[in-house]
Amino acid sequence: MSWLKQLFVRRRLYGDLSEEIREHLEEKIEQLVAGGTSRKEAAAAARREFGNVMLVEEDSREVWRWPSAEDFLVDLRYGLRLLRKNFGSTVAVVITLALGIGMNTTVFGFVNALLLRPPVGVKAPNKLLELWLHIRSSSSSDGYLPLTYPDYLYYRDHNQSFDGMLAFDGDPHSIIWNRSGEGQIVQAQLVSGNFFSLLGVNAVLGRTFSVEDDQVESPQPVVVLGHAFWQQRFDSDPSIVGKGLLLNGANYRVVGVASAGFAGLEAGIEPDVWAPVTMVERITGDKGRLNNWHGHWLFAVGRLKDNASARGARAELGVLARQIEQAQPDQNRKLDGIVFPATLVPGPYRGYVSAFTGLLMGVFALLLFIASANAASFLLARATGRTREMAIRSALGAGRGRLIRQLLVESTLLSGLAGCAGLVLAYWVAPLLLTLKPASLPITLRLPVDWRVLIFTVLISLVTGLAFGITPALRSAKVQVAPILKDEGQSASYRKSQLRSVLITGQTATCAVLLVGATLCVKSFRNARLIDPGFDTQHVAVATLTPEVLGYREPQVRAFYEQLSEHIRALPGVSSASFVSHLPLGAAREQTVVTRGIRSTSDQDKLSVDVLRIAPNYFRTMGIPLLRGRDFTAREDAELRGAAIINETLARRLSPNRDPVGQRIAVAGEKVNTEIIGVVKTGKYRTLGEDAIPAIFLPQLPPRRTLVVRTAGDPASMLGLIRREIQIVDSNMAATELETIRQYMALPLFPARTTGLLLGASGILALALTCIGLFGVISYIVSQRTHEIGVRIALGARPRDVLKLVVRHGLFLTATGLAVGLGVAFGAAHLLLSLLYGISPTDPGTFAGVALLLCTVALLACYVPARRATHVDPTVALRYE
Amino acid sequence: MKTREQRDLFPGALEMMILRTLKRQPLHGYALAQHIKRTSNDLLQIEEGSLYPALQRLLKEELLKAEWGISSTNRRVRIYKLTAAGAKHLEHEVSRFEKMLDGITRVLAPGES
Repeated sequence: MSWLKQLFVRRRLYGDLSEEIREHLEEKIEQLVAGGTSRKEAAAAARREFGNVMLVEEDSREVWRWPSAEDFLVDLRYGLRLLRKNFGSTVAVVITLALGIGMNTTVFGFVNALLLRPPVGVKAPNKLLELWLHIRSSSSSDGYLPLTYPDYLYYRDHNQSFDGMLAFDGDPHSIIWNRSGEGQIVQAQLVSGNFFSLLGVNAVLGRTFSVEDDQVESPQPVVVLGHAFWQQRFDSDPSIVGKGLLLNGANYRVVGVASAGFAGLEAGIEPDVWAPVTMVERITGDKGRLNNWHGHWLFAVGRLKDNASARGARAELGVLARQIEQAQPDQNRKLDGIVFPATLVPGPYRGYVSAFTGLLMGVFALLLFIASANAASFLLARATGRTREMAIRSALGAGRGRLIRQLLVESTLLSGLAGCAGLVLAYWVAPLLLTLKPASLPITLRLPVDWRVLIFTVLISLVTGLAFGITPALRSAKVQVAPILKDEGQSASYRKSQLRSVLITGQTATCAVLLVGATLCVKSFRNARLIDPGFDTQHVAVATLTPEVLGYREPQVRAFYEQLSEHIRALPGVSSASFVSHLPLGAAREQTVVTRGIRSTSDQDKLSVDVLRIAPNYFRTMGIPLLRGRDFTAREDAELRGAAIINETLARRLSPNRDPVGQRIAVAGEKVNTEIIGVVKTGKYRTLGEDAIPAIFLPQLPPRRTLVVRTAGDPASMLGLIRREIQIVDSNMAATELETIRQYMALPLFPARTTGLLLGASGILALALTCIGLFGVISYIVSQRTHEIGVRIALGARPRDVLKLVVRHGLFLTATGLAVGLGVAFGAAHLLLSLLYGISPTDPGTFAGVALLLCTVALLACYVPARRATHVDPTVALRYE
Repeated sequence: MKTREQRDLFPGALEMMILRTLKRQPLHGYALAQHIKRTSNDLLQIEEGSLYPALQRLLKEELLKAEWGISSTNRRVRIYKLTAAGAKHLEHEVSRFEKMLDGITRVLAPGES
């Protein structure tokens, strides 16, 4: 009989079986009656000899079934019915769990996007290894450098482990695309000629690069377009191949369009165009980049041969590194070759990404624990109401395993529903988190909900369901049938409330840990925002300009900036404008050495300082107070004798007791004999958290500059005007980062803001969930003790005594949890150390505040059920017996 | 729980007895139970009910077939009949059982080592 046929005839089979058994019993009874027994006795005897009719039927049917699968379906149906019956509490538990699961899924979405997902469209990505240079003397967690071009050539041509080795520029270039007379910014990535072929990425149109495009002697001005770029900017023009693009002032020929979805090998970066790596000097204007042994700028990735291992490759690269060292003794290189499996985040940075996402995962796992404890509490309370049901099921022949299975199906049903809701939540929250990223960062991160995310959600839901369901299930299944059916079920529930007390203590402890973390991070974010960076963060607009990439020479650059300066200053609402080589607190940095006294050779007189190159009026525009001396004038730059303005910190270091203005210093790499003409207030230059750093301001500016504009009103309203003026002055030009200083500050505040928001949210959620949990437990305990409280009141206890009795119990649980939680938080807080601004991880105020807050909330959560307890009517409470 | 009906028997014993009984003549459930009880001189303490899961198993394996009919006492009953496969299976099981019994007997027999 095929299983399909079985399925159809089963209903009839079951009917037959019942009838058959009935007939069997009838026949037996008749025979016994015929033998002279009374009918009643005969019926009893027949049943006795037959055994458990229900069980026999069940066992007989089971022959025809796939028992576990079908029992599961039955349990599922029953569970769903139960959930529908308790709709309100089901929704509450599901929402609670969904928050916990959803936040974990969200963080996992980021982990997946950054660390687990292989690059899209790449053939056999597990065979790819990243190659990094490592400074021998540094630890394994830092000291990594990308390759120089000569390094890349040597490793590419001398290794035996790889089928091929490609390279690309780790920092994509913002380049200016002159589109029919109007400048637009596009992201370009420089890649080696074998980049596409080695990755197995094809062109949907035209071709990808070949090695011929990428010769050092004759680099080809060709580009491959990104698929999205081609679709959006060229409207999927099918005849694009062969056309020219004016990029950074030079003509490039489009040779093809890369396949859809392919966005290179780096997370967050989706290049608009790819160009051969040997075009680097033409594109950046940086001569000598291709034979420089010091410029580390290339990310290299090799495809491992089928018979080679990562370990073997690592060993071989070590040997090649030594060979380079011997071949280039004058370069004084102490660099080893290291491999990492290729993922979307470059190997050396993975540690930071996993540390941060790991911290978040930990935080949200704790939140999930609190949510699970609530769910467990809920199930335990429901289990008390179901002791009779369990007893009856057990009396009817359900074994312990069967009961446990049913209860676990019910709890995983809850967590499964929560998992679905959590997935929806994650889908909605993850893009929201991406908006935390500073708008100016040209980063696009795809957060796909792929099979890894789905499996993670399913697993975490299952584990959660089993974890919070197992104890209630074990307890419920341990039924003592007789006493319960005889209505003596009081003793069993006491242990359950004990278990719930343990749960609530754990919850409070976890909540305390999360609250401490949240408070620290929120306070730290507030501190970070309050940190004075030393310049105005309100009324300034900024724009970065790169005339050098258009191939402009010195006079052209000068003319451009002079005209632009005039145009901007003439705008209504602009009070002043200036230029700076790079803004403080950004990624760019310049350092030099200043020597006190012009001819001193003593190391004591040498000071390492940060350099900013500025045009006149920079300080006024940025709102930086000039403490002594004067600002630069327009002529300073041209003068033979050097002039410099220093910050207060440097002034104090150079000459603690004398007025530095008028003193002379030597600045490495500058005109000797530099005179200090002014002193400004010290600001922040590298990070917001830094201690005072000595800095020097010099008047000579490079071609690449950031325009700073001081506005009377909201600078956001000026951005459009500034963009227009740039176009008017030079239609080929476009600003790469045009934004308000407020938007710019999002970058240095990013870590503090993100952790503050995420941990703050987790703290609030934890508090809310714990509060609900505590409320539930105390309410439950009150309902369990109604009888006892009734007796107390009957014996003369006043409402105040009852109130005290209940609240004391709640506060005792809270205090225990709090003590444990604060202890753990005290030990774990140092994990946050690197993320905190101006606050110690063991800040006593924070700990005291959390204790106070939790106690207050606990008091409130206990008060409502305690009030109810005082209204217990002794006669009602006692009448039951 | 599944093995409850075989508490006092080795696995497959009940099935073998059913097949053997039905080989002689087709019977319905009650008659089958009575027959096994009677012929074993009530030595085998089996619950009558335990017969039914065993019958279902044999039906499923198509060693038996069942038809509704009328019993001698004029009841509507389901009469079980051995199939060809059932007969073959019985033969095989019996020979296996005899070999086993033979082995056990030799071991238990006193003095002949």
